[in-house]
Amino acid sequence: MAFFAILQTTFLLALLPLRTYQSEVLSEPLPLTPESLSISINSTKQCLHLQWTVHNLDYHQELKMVFQIEISRFKASEVIWTGNYSTTVMQNQVLHWSWESELPLECAIHFVRMRTMVDDARIPVPRFWSNWSSWEKADAQNSLGDHPLYVFPKDKLVEEGSDVTICYISRNHQDNISCYLEDVLTHGKQLDQSVWAFELKNVSFLRKTGTNFYCQGQGVPEGVVLYVSKVLEEPKDFSCETRDLKSLTCTWDPGDDTGLIGLPSYTLFESFSGKKTLCKHRNRCDWQVTQDSQEMYNFTLVAENYFRKRSVSILFNLIHGVHPVAPYNLFPKNVSATNATMTWKVHSIGNNSALLCQLQLLGEGKVIQQHNISVRVNGEYLLSELEPDTEYMARVHCAYADHFWKWSELISQNFTTAEAAPLEAPDVWRDVMFVSGHPTVTLFWKPLSKVHTHGKILFYNVVVENLDEPSSLEVLSVPAPANSTKVTLNQSSYQIHVTAHNSVGPSPASTVAVSGHPGNENVEEGRINGTEDGFPMSWKPQSRNATGYVVEWCDGPQNLPCVLQWKNLGPTTTGTVISSGAFRPGVRYNFRIYEISTKRMAHLLEKKTGYLEELAPSYNPHVVPNNLTSHSFTLSWKDYPTESQTGFIQGYYVYLKSKAGEKCHRGFEKTVLPDNSVCCKYTIDNPDQKTFVMKDLQPESVYEFLVTPYTSAGEGPLDDFRKVTTPDEYSHILINIILPMIFCVLLIMIACYLKSQWLKDKCYPDIPDPYKSSVLSLIKSKENPHITIMNVNDCVPDAIEVVNKPEGSKIQFTGTRKSPTETKVTPQAPDCQPGPLTSPENLLKTLEQNYMNSLGEIPAGEANLNYVSQLASPMSGDKESPPTNPPEPAFCSEYKMQMAIPLGLASPPPSENSSLSSTTLLDPGEHYH
Amino acid sequence: MRAQSMQRTLLSLVLRLLLLCMVATGKCSGKYHELLLQLQRQADLMQNPSTLLDPYIHLQGLHSPVLKGSCMERPGDFPSEDTLWRLSRQDFLRTLNTTLGLFLRMLSALQQDLPKAAQQQAEMNIRGLGNNIHCMAQLLHGSSDPEAAEPTQPGPGPTPPPPPLPTLPLDTFKRKLRICEFLQGYHRFMRRAGQVLRGWGERRGRNRRHSPLRGLQRAARRTWPFPGLRRLAPQGQLPR
Repeated sequence: MAFFAILQTTFLLALLPLRTYQSEVLSEPLPLTPESLSISINSTKQCLHLQWTVHNLDYHQELKMVFQIEISRFKASEVIWTGNYSTTVMQNQVLHWSWESELPLECAIHFVRMRTMVDDARIPVPRFWSNWSSWEKADAQNSLGDHPLYVFPKDKLVEEGSDVTICYISRNHQDNISCYLEDVLTHGKQLDQSVWAFELKNVSFLRKTGTNFYCQGQGVPEGVVLYVSKVLEEPKDFSCETRDLKSLTCTWDPGDDTGLIGLPSYTLFESFSGKKTLCKHRNRCDWQVTQDSQEMYNFTLVAENYFRKRSVSILFNLIHGVHPVAPYNLFPKNVSATNATMTWKVHSIGNNSALLCQLQLLGEGKVIQQHNISVRVNGEYLLSELEPDTEYMARVHCAYADHFWKWSELISQNFTTAEAAPLEAPDVWRDVMFVSGHPTVTLFWKPLSKVHTHGKILFYNVVVENLDEPSSLEVLSVPAPANSTKVTLNQSSYQIHVTAHNSVGPSPASTVAVSGHPGNENVEEGRINGTEDGFPMSWKPQSRNATGYVVEWCDGPQNLPCVLQWKNLGPTTTGTVISSGAFRPGVRYNFRIYEISTKRMAHLLEKKTGYLEELAPSYNPHVVPNNLTSHSFTLSWKDYPTESQTGFIQGYYVYLKSKAGEKCHRGFEKTVLPDNSVCCKYTIDNPDQKTFVMKDLQPESVYEFLVTPYTSAGEGPLDDFRKVTTPDEYSHILINIILPMIFCVLLIMIACYLKSQWLKDKCYPDIPDPYKSSVLSLIKSKENPHITIMNVNDCVPDAIEVVNKPEGSKIQFTGTRKSPTETKVTPQAPDCQPGPLTSPENLLKTLEQNYMNSLGEIPAGEANLNYVSQLASPMSGDKESPPTNPPEPAFCSEYKMQMAIPLGLASPPPSENSSLSSTTLLDPGEHYH
Repeated sequence: MRAQSMQRTLLSLVLRLLLLCMVATGKCSGKYHELLLQLQRQADLMQNPSTLLDPYIHLQGLHSPVLKGSCMERPGDFPSEDTLWRLSRQDFLRTLNTTLGLFLRMLSALQQDLPKAAQQQAEMNIRGLGNNIHCMAQLLHGSSDPEAAEPTQPGPGPTPPPPPLPTLPLDTFKRKLRICEFLQGYHRFMRRAGQVLRGWGERRGRNRRHSPLRGLQRAARRTWPFPGLRRLAPQGQLPR
């Protein structure tokens, strides 16, 4: 069987040239080998382009053949690629085939050879390969110059993520060449003695101006620029539409830019008409609608760049893709307080087709009305049920009426409706103060909400109606935006009507009634607790005819001016929750609940006070310690205001610390402070008690105390301890003695000061003038009227005492004359005996007595003193002149009779006259022996 | 860095305002020192690589040390320092004018390679400098100052012909480097020009007696060598 097959093949091969010969010119059968193989190099594409023919092909018909190709690099023996190329070959046909090299072709010599085999079904098997052609050489290095270094491939365009092989050829093998991708050193593989290759894997896009790869040897760096393109994406959201049925526009999302300028291209094909257009934009293409009323279009968008081709298709019905152009000239007309007519125009489509337009009315950004209107050229619609003095926005867009595809762009117009009279009466409340028995009413009203004003409120009218005198009406006009006014009334009953006015007219009136007499203010105040929602409160109605209730309060703390707030409640309501954004924790709020009578008179029903949330006291009272004794002291904080604290004060804690660490006294309990110190604590649970006596203390001890209030939320700060030191037990006694003594001494000193003249008179009387002495008058009158004073020469001493100093001899009364140098005159005035001598006898007696006393009293050591009489003048004969050196008076004597002069100072030396000074003054009539 | 950039921007703005002012009035300043100072400042601004070279390097990715190191001025692209110092003032202005005119043409050819903002800025600067060169040439031509015809530094040599525009290689990498070298040469050239202009000021300070202001009103007839630049004073021509 095999033998038979071989015979058959041989027969057919032999028959093949025979058939050729039969058809044209019969020739001898030749082997089908590739001939004229030539190789060209395309450096840009890094391709080897092969071209050859097949000789000896004599058939007119085509013959399917297989060409086996071998490619070697550097040497013919180093085959790097083998592959087959199948094609149908015709006679004399020049065959072409390309092979793309990963390695730039400039970096290596390539060799190519091929052989062929018939692969036609008409030729029976077995088939045989022809002989190999001779090796053909492709050498791109021939075209290079003589530069020492070349880097390839030049300006290669690659797609992001692909692999690239870069090579360099170095003519100087000694060079140490480094290569960099951008600024990163890259290592390659040596392919040949002078060729290195670098495989760059998964290259990424860096910049439109390309990625730099360069090598540097000895000279200037050589390099290449790789242009990396991002992967072309398939166009997304491809759609078409027409705005006027005359042209259509197809749009798409091209995706990311590939990063290369001018790439990719977009082409729009339409398969029914066979037309195509090159798009001018990368995301949009315009297409003119033909006049032959083509409705259906089969569009294919082809995006193409160097590497890829992407396409998307849609089937488009022109009528189903009408997107009208936006309408125009939208205006309001005939705008009243509640109505407005809107008009607009539309662009015609096709043969005046109708458009469906949607008119929307927006108030405060929300669509409040929406109307659909069919329009051909002009649109118009009456908007009603509008609010007066309100700004609206009208907007309109249109769609193709025959088949809705898409709304046109919106156009809009704002307008404001006209004003109308206010719809509601203002919410009015009053605060009544009685000044000197006359009520002063402050009226408050809340601004009307915008819904109710219907225009700008210009003023408020206040009409005061005296119910006791119906004809008496007082009208006040309060310009807006004031929200209060004050009215002084007399002791009648009044109704006050308040209306708000805008440019159109007044609102309904709001009425409050005021009695001319104060109501019952003695209502007990109850406490309420605030919650997250506010202050819940309830009350008991007093009257069955109440028309409502009002709760009033101040929004701010008590120490701030009151911003009066109120809440109106219905007649059946007996409780409410007062909430306000102004409420703050730790602030006491006072609420007053009024019942409104049928005559609009308000009666105080209840008072409530409370905190939204009680807080611990923020500060402690200023405590004054007094009545300090050795065992106790009293603390007082009477000026602490409990009403304005951050919670209801429930009492006080009194803390006491002692240095000695004593045990806590009775009533105190031991506690540990936050700073871990231990102290004693006493609880005062009466918030009105603001004094405390600290008893049973130790004398001379240091104590620290603190008084802090507490609320339901906690106590005040524990950081303000004050010190007090108890005195010792006797100090108060000392104080009781010393203080009075000091007081007495002071009194005496003051008395002495005040009575100094009297004392002087008593203790230091004036020295009597001898010339004015009464003794003289006695002498004058009895004996010699010309004698004024007694002369010493006239006297005959009858007794002289001589003091013998060296021997300290005993003083004797010898009756001899005195020594001129050591004499003594002894008379001395008696102590504390004021007044002149009344008689000579008395004088003599006195002198004698004193003299004897003096002798007896002179101590032995003082016997050397001279005693000089000061009664006589030292200047003899100068009877008229007073003594030049009057001696100081001795204490408690009328005059000083003698003075002691030390010997050394007893100058001048005694003269005759001066010796007279020591003479005892004696009555001339009676000599003393 | 930002502060320097801000200073440069402000300086550029001031110079542009000065230029605009001159363009608006269409008159040259007759004050030699004022004009010289403007020329010096403009040269200082243009010698700064941040105005053109640095943006180019950043755009082309040539910021690696190896490539920056090879981006050196190529001899022959622009007149050398020695040449400039040996030119008379009139010849210097003419050479400066011609060289910048050629550079302006080169800039137009490099639109695809340069950042657009930097290129436009450089063009504005060159045109502004050209106007002041024209005014200075007019001023020098009208003066009887003998220094105007003397070289700034003595030396032989006629006025050199303007350097030809460089031929850019087709190889993109080489082209990138060549442009880099060319721009580097431009900044260096402007630096040299600024130094020469400062040399004028110093010499003028030493030789006050040669006032260039004499005869300023004489009209000069000269051609306007700046291609594409509008002449500020149509009746004026650069001296030849």
